[in-house]
Amino acid sequence: MWKKLFAWLDERLALNELYKATLDRPEPKGNWWNTLGSASLFLFLLQGVTGIFLSVYYTPSPDHAFDSIQYIMNGVAFGWLIRGIHHWGATLMVLVVFIHMLRVFVTASYKYPRELTWLIGVGLLLCTLGMGFTGYLLPWDQKAYWATTVATSIAGSVPIIGSFIMKALRGGTDLSALTLSRFFAAHIWMLPAVLAGLIGVHLFLIIKHGESEFPGKDD
Amino acid sequence: MKEEQKKTVLEKYKIALQKGERFWPDSIYKDLLVSLAIFIVLILLATFLGVPGEPKADPSDTAYVPKPEWYFLFLFKFLAVYGQIPLLGKIEWIATAAIPALVILLLFVLPLMDKNPYRHYSRRIMALSIMAVFVTSMVVLTVISGIPTTSGNTGMSAMTLLQFLTGLVIPIMAYIIIVGSSFLSNKLKLLGSRLQKWTAVGGSLSMIVVAGVVILIAPPAAPSAEVQVANTLTEQIIAGQDLYSLNCVQCHGADGEGGIISGVQGLEGFNMKAIHSQDEMYTRSDETLGDIISYGQPNLGMQPFGKSYGGALSTSEIDYIVAFMRYTWDDRSVIPAGAVSTIPELNPGEVPSWDVHIQPLVKRYCVSCHRTGRQNNNYLMTSYQEMLTTGDNAPLITAGDPKSLLLTLINGHEGKDPVTGNVIRQMPPTKLLDPKYVDMLTRWVMAGMPQTAKEAAALAPTPTATPTGGVAPAVPTPTPTP
Amino acid sequence: MAGSHNISRRDFVKLITGAVGAIIGAAIGLPAIDYLIDPALKAAGKDAWVPLGKLETFEIGKPTLATFTRSTVNGWEKTVNSYGVFVLRSSDTDTLILSNKCTHLGCHVNWNVDKQEYICPCHDAQFGINGEVLGGPPPRPLDRYTGDQVQVTDGKLLIYFRGG
Repeated sequence: MWKKLFAWLDERLALNELYKATLDRPEPKGNWWNTLGSASLFLFLLQGVTGIFLSVYYTPSPDHAFDSIQYIMNGVAFGWLIRGIHHWGATLMVLVVFIHMLRVFVTASYKYPRELTWLIGVGLLLCTLGMGFTGYLLPWDQKAYWATTVATSIAGSVPIIGSFIMKALRGGTDLSALTLSRFFAAHIWMLPAVLAGLIGVHLFLIIKHGESEFPGKDD
Repeated sequence: MKEEQKKTVLEKYKIALQKGERFWPDSIYKDLLVSLAIFIVLILLATFLGVPGEPKADPSDTAYVPKPEWYFLFLFKFLAVYGQIPLLGKIEWIATAAIPALVILLLFVLPLMDKNPYRHYSRRIMALSIMAVFVTSMVVLTVISGIPTTSGNTGMSAMTLLQFLTGLVIPIMAYIIIVGSSFLSNKLKLLGSRLQKWTAVGGSLSMIVVAGVVILIAPPAAPSAEVQVANTLTEQIIAGQDLYSLNCVQCHGADGEGGIISGVQGLEGFNMKAIHSQDEMYTRSDETLGDIISYGQPNLGMQPFGKSYGGALSTSEIDYIVAFMRYTWDDRSVIPAGAVSTIPELNPGEVPSWDVHIQPLVKRYCVSCHRTGRQNNNYLMTSYQEMLTTGDNAPLITAGDPKSLLLTLINGHEGKDPVTGNVIRQMPPTKLLDPKYVDMLTRWVMAGMPQTAKEAAALAPTPTATPTGGVAPAVPTPTPTP
Repeated sequence: MAGSHNISRRDFVKLITGAVGAIIGAAIGLPAIDYLIDPALKAAGKDAWVPLGKLETFEIGKPTLATFTRSTVNGWEKTVNSYGVFVLRSSDTDTLILSNKCTHLGCHVNWNVDKQEYICPCHDAQFGINGEVLGGPPPRPLDRYTGDQVQVTDGKLLIYFRGG
């Protein structure tokens, strides 16, 4: 019965082919350092899930952002857990992505034929940092407000176009409701969309070229 | 890379695959274990460290020192160290934009730049050396990011010089030596890679050592002021009550009832209207109340309290006061359970203690004036010790003495300064305390001013006797502080 | 003949597909860019004379922080921002007014009494009592309000504040 059902589905979804192409692949002898890429993916998914939950109660406006987070922390059952995981997950994600990159550098896995995988990876690092930067403002507390003020002034120090970049980031000359809402949009829609797309390409390239083997003495 | 090299790479990889494992389940199993470990760490961090509380953003607080997230600290510190370079340091966009952009660009084009076909570490000394120095300097900058670059004296001090060394000079020298030695001719290749290796090791170690010295000689960081963050509405109302007691009671009364002001310079004898009435509460929104507190009403004699107008209260603190006023005086508001810090009632025969009864009572009705910086004949009431020992007419309370000056004053009688003969007014000057609070203070003094609830319980007589009479026995105090 | 006709027809279809895609992309993409950066292109707040308080309240010889608030409409919402200036009266008639915004990256400088310097806590910039750079990263002295940007009317000190 189950076999029949599976055969029916396989005929239409090509499950076996999919399984062979993505999961049942040969790999070089594994190394524990090679797990960090998957760990980054895991953290990205975890951030996505907790982030979606946070958005149920969070309100991106200067009047309510702080209070809505206080409510998540103190008013909602397990709000502290969801926010805690999201907060520390961000920290760990930056750390894990960084160490993953160092591992790739040390084993020289970015060399032929995996140059593009590295390039996409740098893009992923920048997006991750961008997520950290935009997410930092959302609680709208003192630290967030003033750190973002300074960070956006850093963009403002670029010659000629600096003040335009700063205004475009802030959505005006000063930090305001517009800044918060555009950081929010970047944090929950734009950057995750770019991240997801880049992760897709990154994974495709890994499947296409296989995971790199640990370099031997004659490599 | 040449075509034949590519071929060998692919062939080698094929062999490695044959000796290897399957992605599912072998690799995924390992990935799962690592992810699980990370997940457990996250749960532990969320449970035991939580997310540190911060006050609400306050655009009027011009004294706040911003700090970025920890993974940007190295960049933040780099800006400070770079800025100390004479001349070049003034061109800030080099450090804020050009150098970070260059590093990102180098990362992007790394696979195209690195023409070295080998992968084993023994054949990539140069690349690894550069990365080692880079990562070490990042870590070092992060670690010393909390220490100021200057040590007080204008210009170059030892502190600045050391941070310069570890943050800029050593890494730059190391990069120059490493890249430079790669140009050594074929013959000296071995020497070149040795030089690179030892530069990386030496450079990293010396950066760490210098950073260690910097940390050692750094002046002890000023303890960061503990910020009290009221999280829940309940906490906010209680915080607001305390702030109201400190800042508002002198003119508006402990319950917003107003009355004749006394003891406030410039407003002596002014008849303050009540601010707790339905009229006031129904017609003023939270925003208006906040604005009044923040800006004051200079023409009516009320000074500004908000930081943006020269006062001392932050936006959050003003919000707390407004919350307290709204939830205690506005009959339309449903006050959350436990949101008012009440002064506990006394049972007959119970002896009050400082910790449980007197402190909240004093905080509510007296501390507004009886703290440093106010006109109060130097009688301070912010702590147990102060209440017993301070004051021009100290001691104001004597264990078991019903004629203690404090008791005389709160009973509505005037007192006399034994030295100068000046008259001391009744206390509190505008409106006497509720009789039950007068009784509470009397009982406390008669019993010998116990500090903790435990001491008070030990002093309590048998449940039947009431020590409120005038002839209480002088009980020896457990903590005598003359 | 037929084959070449087919190919050119195919090329034509490719071309059209590409062109239609590009047109749709441009039609939504270009307005989207303008949509996103629009707040940056809008004119900043208006300049105005801002009162700092009575002149006599500022102690002679000691830099004193005076703050003022400007409220601007940002998008749909009123934003209240505070600004600060240090007022230093060197004599009854001479007043020096310095912005408290560090010229490096816009953190707020503080007056340090012990060192007799303005210090920026972010990147350790040091300014002298007249706003000149003593050390650290700032590219220029603290901004001054001078000449026609300062006036005293009815004993009240006013500065001409430039919005944005």
